[in-house]
Amino acid sequence: MTHKWNVFKKRCQVGFALVAVLIIGFMLIQGCHPQPPAEPEPFAFKDSLSQYGFFQGELKQLKPVGRLFRYVLSTPLFTDYAIKDRFILLPKDSSIQYTGSGVLSFPDSTIIVKNFAYQNTDHQKVMIETRLLVKDPSDHAWKVMDYLWNAQQTEAIKHITGARVPITLLDDMGNAISTNYQVPNTNDCKRCHNNGGVLIPIGPKARNLNTDGPAATIAETAAGSALVGSATATSVNQLARWVQRGILRGMPDLSKVDKLPDWKDSIHYTVAQRARAYLDVNCAHCHTRGGDAYNTGLFLEYQQTDPAHIGIMKMPVSAGGGAGGLNFDILPGNPASSIMPYRMNAAEAGTAMPELARTVIHKEGVRLIQQWIKEMKAEK
Amino acid sequence: MIKHPLLYVLLGCCWLTACKPDVADDYKTRQVFGPGQEDKIVEAFLSLKDSSAIELKAGTYKFDNLSIAQLKHILIQGAGPDSTILDFSSQTSGGEGIRVTDVKGFTIRGMVLQNAKGDLIKINRCQDVVVASLHAIWQKADSNSGGYAIYPVLCKNVLIEDSYAEGASDAGIYVGQTQGAIVRRCKASRNVAGCEIENTQDAQVYDNEFYGNTAGFLIFDLPNLSQRGGRVRAYHNNFHDNNTKNFAKSGNFGTYWGVGNAPPGSGVVILSTSHIDLDSNQISHNNSSAIIIASGLSVDEKAMEKINAQYFPIPADVHIYGNQLSMDSAFPSPVYEHHVGKMLVAVQQRLGARIPLILYDGVSSNVISKGTTPNPDSIYIQQSEPNLFVDADLTRIGTKDWNPNTNGAPFTKH
Repeated sequence: MTHKWNVFKKRCQVGFALVAVLIIGFMLIQGCHPQPPAEPEPFAFKDSLSQYGFFQGELKQLKPVGRLFRYVLSTPLFTDYAIKDRFILLPKDSSIQYTGSGVLSFPDSTIIVKNFAYQNTDHQKVMIETRLLVKDPSDHAWKVMDYLWNAQQTEAIKHITGARVPITLLDDMGNAISTNYQVPNTNDCKRCHNNGGVLIPIGPKARNLNTDGPAATIAETAAGSALVGSATATSVNQLARWVQRGILRGMPDLSKVDKLPDWKDSIHYTVAQRARAYLDVNCAHCHTRGGDAYNTGLFLEYQQTDPAHIGIMKMPVSAGGGAGGLNFDILPGNPASSIMPYRMNAAEAGTAMPELARTVIHKEGVRLIQQWIKEMKAEK
Repeated sequence: MIKHPLLYVLLGCCWLTACKPDVADDYKTRQVFGPGQEDKIVEAFLSLKDSSAIELKAGTYKFDNLSIAQLKHILIQGAGPDSTILDFSSQTSGGEGIRVTDVKGFTIRGMVLQNAKGDLIKINRCQDVVVASLHAIWQKADSNSGGYAIYPVLCKNVLIEDSYAEGASDAGIYVGQTQGAIVRRCKASRNVAGCEIENTQDAQVYDNEFYGNTAGFLIFDLPNLSQRGGRVRAYHNNFHDNNTKNFAKSGNFGTYWGVGNAPPGSGVVILSTSHIDLDSNQISHNNSSAIIIASGLSVDEKAMEKINAQYFPIPADVHIYGNQLSMDSAFPSPVYEHHVGKMLVAVQQRLGARIPLILYDGVSSNVISKGTTPNPDSIYIQQSEPNLFVDADLTRIGTKDWNPNTNGAPFTKH
């Protein structure tokens, strides 16, 4: 470099040098700011939910139209006893590629729609927010947006800053609970929908979709939702139905697909299976390697087998006062001295787990985890 | 030859424009806000693009919480730690006041962060982090304070300088699972631990003053985490008067993890880590122990079962030299209410004399090798103070074989 530079200097006349300098300078600038190759336009979120044309008729009825279709999960995330409606919109002539572990592989321009509502004391379903996950074709990355429903329940408007919505909801036992429901801001979304710095969906994993399909689908199809593919779906199983419709490709025989237990199904599953399914869905998006709680060493995926990572006799790392002065995440046989149910049974910031997505305690979830820990054999 | 110097300058300018490194204040956009504009600030944080600076003018701001995620080259700048105050008393959700995730090139400087329910600022999985002239405090220091005031974790290249942490119920300044960290010219007081370097590699801690905490400075490795720590040098620091009650939320005698294990009155605690240099520090008036060197086995009987590539409970290559060490003649009273503190009291009783300045728990790799080599783990101490050293034989405490001894000879040679 120095040699060339000297040669360069020696050869230069002042006038020539000026030109050369300008040319070299221009090249340097260009060289370090490469022009990206032409790509599809970045996805732009619309200002209101209705503009997407996802639904027909009255918006709040959430009747899917066109290629939007409804799906369900074996075990859902708890969000203040919210009533959730989930939909996927696949672009024309495309399908989902099966993946055995993790989230299914969705094509560019897929939109995943999740609506949150609550049941008020008059037993009416009241819309709160609608969340969108879009796989942007310009960079193949998932993007998030939230839409907040208006008081008239006629429209949901783009909303990035989060909100606290005072509501009085009915829980699963019909008890009225007043709370300030937390609508996430767009960074909150990124916290859970994130692994190793990449934004990803959470729910639509094969194992959590491997269940009976939504009853509503057939009625909705009859009502005009022209689902992807033309074949008649006869299967009850959601994934099998998707394969029949051509929505999903590459799936092995259904018997070879993992199945996440339904956390409420005490007939087919043990307490331990249900508890692990519950933790997988409610905690493992952060409590996993590369997740937001990677630093804790507490990893709660359904497949996790290391007792220490599951929390058994594991001391916390950075829980601070959130641990309530207790010593172990899980002390087998002793739920009252275990940090995990202690934090699930709290609602205040700094103690409550999950940190986001709920402001009230999920009593049924806490009970399940307490029962699981109680049934664990105490160590000597 | 180019005769006009101007041409060199011109060429140089082109080169700088082309491939310039991140230099201070070189941000594509800069937004300036004042008190009363909290809603706009929240929105600005959520709408940030790469290479943005946010400037907060003098005054007090109230937030529930703030977050920054998945960006490059971001500056949050206040008017100084005397004048820009961000108050998080009204936090209702999340785990911290400010949360920064997956940012490459993050700088925060010149402000006070105070009174969050959780941690004050957590910087998670970031690279090239600078925290400067930041005061992170809980005005009321008790077990209801959040855990950490300044909390980078899983980061690469962290600089914390000219900052102050107060009132944390865990560590005031906490660097966790990080590669490359410098903590310098900082102060920490009225925390459980003033500063903790945990499972962190290649850290330099110098020109700091940690005082009035339960424990001044901790270098810890804990099991089940993403990486081992080690290669930490602490020098030219002043760790003094750390004698307060351990107010980490706990049962009767303290929790058995993290800083819950730090006995009141400890200057420096080195736990389960290796390649540590502690030199040229002033460590005084920490009245239970100036320096503790301990294995995980002293606080966790299952520590040996947790050995893997990311954890080894026995400290090694600990070099202590050229420090000024002193202690007062009596334990601070909170030590009698603490589970590790009570062990120190027992050691003193057993010796029948004031506990020495440096306490080693005596758990060496001989436990694994069944060997008898004296000092097999290169614990090296070169200090001239009297009553310097005790091998406390802590794992046999309370048994008839328990034999704390003050022969430091095997530990004075390389």
